[in-house]
Amino acid sequence: MNSILHGHRLAALGCFALAGGMILSTTAQAETGSIAPEAKQILKASTDFLGSQQQFSADTRNTLEVVLKNGQKIEFNSTGRQSIQRPNKLRAERTGDLVAQVFVYDGKSLTLYDTTAESYAQVPVPATLEGMLDYARTNLDLITPAADLIYKNAYNILMDGVTDGIVVGEAIIEGVRCNHLAFRSPQVDWQIWIQQGAQPLPRKIVITTLDLPNAPQFSVTMTKWNLTPTFDAQTFTFTPLAGVKKIDILTR
Amino acid sequence: MNRTRSKSKAFVVTMALPVLYLAAVEPEAPAYLTLAMEAHAVVGAPLTPASAAGVARRTTRRVAVASTSTTAATSATAQQQAATAQQQSATAQQQSATAQQQTAAAQQQTAASARPPGAPAAGVVVTALPAGCKPETRSGVEYQHCGGVYYRAAFQGENLVYVVQ
Repeated sequence: MNSILHGHRLAALGCFALAGGMILSTTAQAETGSIAPEAKQILKASTDFLGSQQQFSADTRNTLEVVLKNGQKIEFNSTGRQSIQRPNKLRAERTGDLVAQVFVYDGKSLTLYDTTAESYAQVPVPATLEGMLDYARTNLDLITPAADLIYKNAYNILMDGVTDGIVVGEAIIEGVRCNHLAFRSPQVDWQIWIQQGAQPLPRKIVITTLDLPNAPQFSVTMTKWNLTPTFDAQTFTFTPLAGVKKIDILTR
Repeated sequence: MNRTRSKSKAFVVTMALPVLYLAAVEPEAPAYLTLAMEAHAVVGAPLTPASAAGVARRTTRRVAVASTSTTAATSATAQQQAATAQQQSATAQQQSATAQQQTAAAQQQTAASARPPGAPAAGVVVTALPAGCKPETRSGVEYQHCGGVYYRAAFQGENLVYVVQ
């Protein structure tokens, strides 16, 4: 029974891949102007679950598309590791195409350390994760897209402006069985893959910007979720190495 | 020429990319990418996926960086880049010319008497230093001294930039 179902699903997936555009557009048309209750429910279960975790860490793999004037898309890649302790600690490390940066938030100040430039900047910021992320976005020009997921009220933030939502179906991300959801808002389409079962963790998010030529995408795949991480005193503390220069970060 | 290109490319790769969780995306052509990609000026990268969070939360990002044309005034390297861009794109040519005029006007208005002719105005933010800079430390702060003009490093967002002093 299960295997029959499974085979059926695989066949369906094959069709999906072959005629994906057609099927999707049909579905989207059928769903225009409505948000499937099940899509909302699955998303809310995930954001509530993550919102209730006091501390966690995860690895991320990011891709960012940039569109050139000639229409060509260029993709940049980076990987990272995030450590979060509510209500007000964060460490995010990123290494990418020749980039190495560390963000440390200790509940009082935010440090940006660029190991390539051997420079860091430190600014006082609000005393909660949410406040810090808002401040970073509006005052420091640090846009924190995937960080939307770690807001305590992530559901409201994500669903703000959403006009359409569907459950695409099941999918496997990095070996983990997920529910695949797709949402539309006026200028942004986004998809999220949420782990099935007792721990509905986000496993992947893809954001498509519709109002730029060729609709570039940003994606984050999350792996190695750890809901019982061990942090030490150094995790959320920044101590500059000898020779590292302190510089300003421009605020507005 | 080759050296110019590889240098600017390295700069892009080094500086342009967003941090993962703190993954940044530019709604408009980021200057560093424009600089790096030369003639293939960038149309844009994805908007902040926070836009997943709704257009309302989108911030208009500081398109700070007036760097290309400003640098062109003082740097042979940048001039080469500008020249390349001009050859390859009429549009770019016009933009570049306009920008250079604007820059020139700004420079005339604000140029201090001590500044060398053609020096960028104080407060201008650039993504790359002109050639031939030497570090100098004054009052514990490191500046880059480039042909009579001092620059101070800073982050703008997660990108390293230089502010003309």
